[in-house]
Amino acid sequence: MARVWQLLLFVLIMAVLIGLPPLLGAGLQNAMTNMLIAALFAMAFNLLMGQGGMLSFGHAAFYGVGAFAVMHLMTAIDRGGLSFPTPLLPLAGAAAGLLVGLVTGWFATLRSGVYFALVTLALAEMLHSLAPHWEGLFGGEAGISSMRMPWGGFIFGQVIEIYYLTLIWVTLSIGLLYAYTRTPFGRLTLALRDNEERVRFMGYDAHATKMIVFAVSATFAGIAGGLLAVSNEQANYELFGTHVSAQVVLHTFVGGSTVFFGPAIGAAIFTLFAYLVSDVSRSWLLYQGVIFVLVMLYAPLGIGGVVMLHLRHWASIPWQRMVGPYAGATAATLLMAIGTVMVVEFLEALFSPHYVAQRRQAETSWPAFERFGASWEPFGILTWGPPLLLLIVGLLILLRLRHRIVALWDEVQETAETAARSGA
Amino acid sequence: MLEFIIISTLNGVTYGLLLFMVSAGLTLIFGMMGVLNFAHASFYMLGAYIAYSITRTIDFWIGLLVAPLLVGLLGMLVERYLLRRVHRYGHAHELLLTFGLAFIFEELIKLFYGDFPVNYSMPAYLRFPAFSLFGADYPFYRLFIGLVAIGMFVLLYILLSRTRVGLVVRAAERLPSMAEALGHNVPLVFMGVFGVGAALAGLGGAVAGAFFPTNPNMALELGVIVFVVVVVGGLGSIEGSLVASLMIGVFSSFAVGLNWSLARLLDLVGLGDWARELGGLMTLTLSSISGTVPFLLMLIVLLVRPAGLFGERN
Repeated sequence: MARVWQLLLFVLIMAVLIGLPPLLGAGLQNAMTNMLIAALFAMAFNLLMGQGGMLSFGHAAFYGVGAFAVMHLMTAIDRGGLSFPTPLLPLAGAAAGLLVGLVTGWFATLRSGVYFALVTLALAEMLHSLAPHWEGLFGGEAGISSMRMPWGGFIFGQVIEIYYLTLIWVTLSIGLLYAYTRTPFGRLTLALRDNEERVRFMGYDAHATKMIVFAVSATFAGIAGGLLAVSNEQANYELFGTHVSAQVVLHTFVGGSTVFFGPAIGAAIFTLFAYLVSDVSRSWLLYQGVIFVLVMLYAPLGIGGVVMLHLRHWASIPWQRMVGPYAGATAATLLMAIGTVMVVEFLEALFSPHYVAQRRQAETSWPAFERFGASWEPFGILTWGPPLLLLIVGLLILLRLRHRIVALWDEVQETAETAARSGA
Repeated sequence: MLEFIIISTLNGVTYGLLLFMVSAGLTLIFGMMGVLNFAHASFYMLGAYIAYSITRTIDFWIGLLVAPLLVGLLGMLVERYLLRRVHRYGHAHELLLTFGLAFIFEELIKLFYGDFPVNYSMPAYLRFPAFSLFGADYPFYRLFIGLVAIGMFVLLYILLSRTRVGLVVRAAERLPSMAEALGHNVPLVFMGVFGVGAALAGLGGAVAGAFFPTNPNMALELGVIVFVVVVVGGLGSIEGSLVASLMIGVFSSFAVGLNWSLARLLDLVGLGDWARELGGLMTLTLSSISGTVPFLLMLIVLLVRPAGLFGERN
């Protein structure tokens, strides 16, 4: 039964990914391309983090290397003399990712825990600081740009063509990553995360295994970077930046690193939201940070983890009693979110250079400011009252419902435990 | 040449002492709680911005005094209400939480102060030359930054090695459960250390922000260098981070003025022209890769001796 549902969900998602984009504008098509790339990057990252148990703070290194490799190949084709099918360009990214991943992986996996994270951080920072000065390889501060060549009847001039190319590559790559988890080596990767010492006792070379996991992860990160280069037709040193490594960590943990598709969920949500919200609000990154910290504090398993928890206990959850508190909690969260957004946007308006200039003109008084298509008094009760009220009411409801939801979940856990005991 | 050496050394030492002010707290916190605090450099930035606000409305010296206290208080709140919550999920979660906080702090600063540098500078009466060297004036304020850092190091050293509080702190670092069994409030000690570490970073920001640019990127820029310092000196070792800070500071200020390259090195054995033909890495000058060398050093230390120069444990 569960398998049928999974298959149905998969078909539905694929149908949307294939059927929806032609109906959208070029902007959204491009956003969806970026979403797919971010999803693949996060999945590659999570092979290392979620399955291998190695937290990397420098995955931008492989992403960037993949992008630059593709740019060099694209330039070589563009200048003539080399014929290479355009759709296979990301292979260059994969090769570069694999190569760099093998070399750096050998070093990085000598260490574990915080020290491993620091090695990866240092590697990415080295590339980031070196690239702007290395004209020949990374094109200096401006980076490299080139043109995609038509191939086999495809012009690759429209966003939609690139979208479908990306979709094929991403589906294939994620399929391979999934197949990887089913192989004995995939099982060994999990064992490495859970108990490295025991892996060594069983006769495996733990260091070599970790190195291979690292290199595979780097390969897929390289493909993701390569796809980005194909889509943008340019790459520069900022691809190695800390914020690129940071984004993939954010996506993965918000989506849930313990669930296979979790990182893709996180990446999809964040990239699409970023596209939709960035036009309206300048504070999108702040919201993103707040969401990440809230997930870390209250749902450490991420969105995927929460979903999985519900699926696992589906039958024993007392849904009739659970629906009420859940609906209430959702409403309360929404109230708090609206309150927070209002406060942040008001502050943003009040501290913007635009408003400061307005105040200088008005001299002594505080003029009203514009936001959400209305005009607000800086010290008015009507300005700050409603958002604060929303925040307080939402918080009170959440605090009340929390106890009830926790009690219900305790019941669910208990039934699960008794069932396990009687079964054993 | 002599001029270059003396000026570079002076600049390097003052910059190194500034690095030390920020890294001391980070290494102290790591040694004690095992938490690599990604938000630490944010405390440095917050210190600078808070001091800027106070300077603009009240006075420079009050800003210098109050900013570290406020930042320290914030640090204590972060430890008490956020870090302690995720402690049971393990070190990776603690690290990720501080990482998220660093993100939020940076965006909040942008929200209130905008994306561009603010005009935070020292009062006019501190803007005088300390002495003249080779016809150029050396700013007094650079020495002032160094003096504040040295004063802080002496105070911290005395506090840790000569007082009863220091004794409890060191005990809680070594054997937390034993210190707790002997009746000391270890969680309180952790909160205090986190607060003091944050306050030190805040002081660094308040002092240095008036000389170096104060902008929303300062946390990120300094943050990665501070990691280098802490790793090279040995995670958890204060003496180590002092030595590493000075090393990196002096190196950075020397490297900016030197145009050595691998090709010039190969000139010595007559292979220079061949190397120049190769181009790429061979012709990069030391001044252009001065930002890269610290990370190379960090990498080498991590691979060869992860305990760092002065660390005792891995």
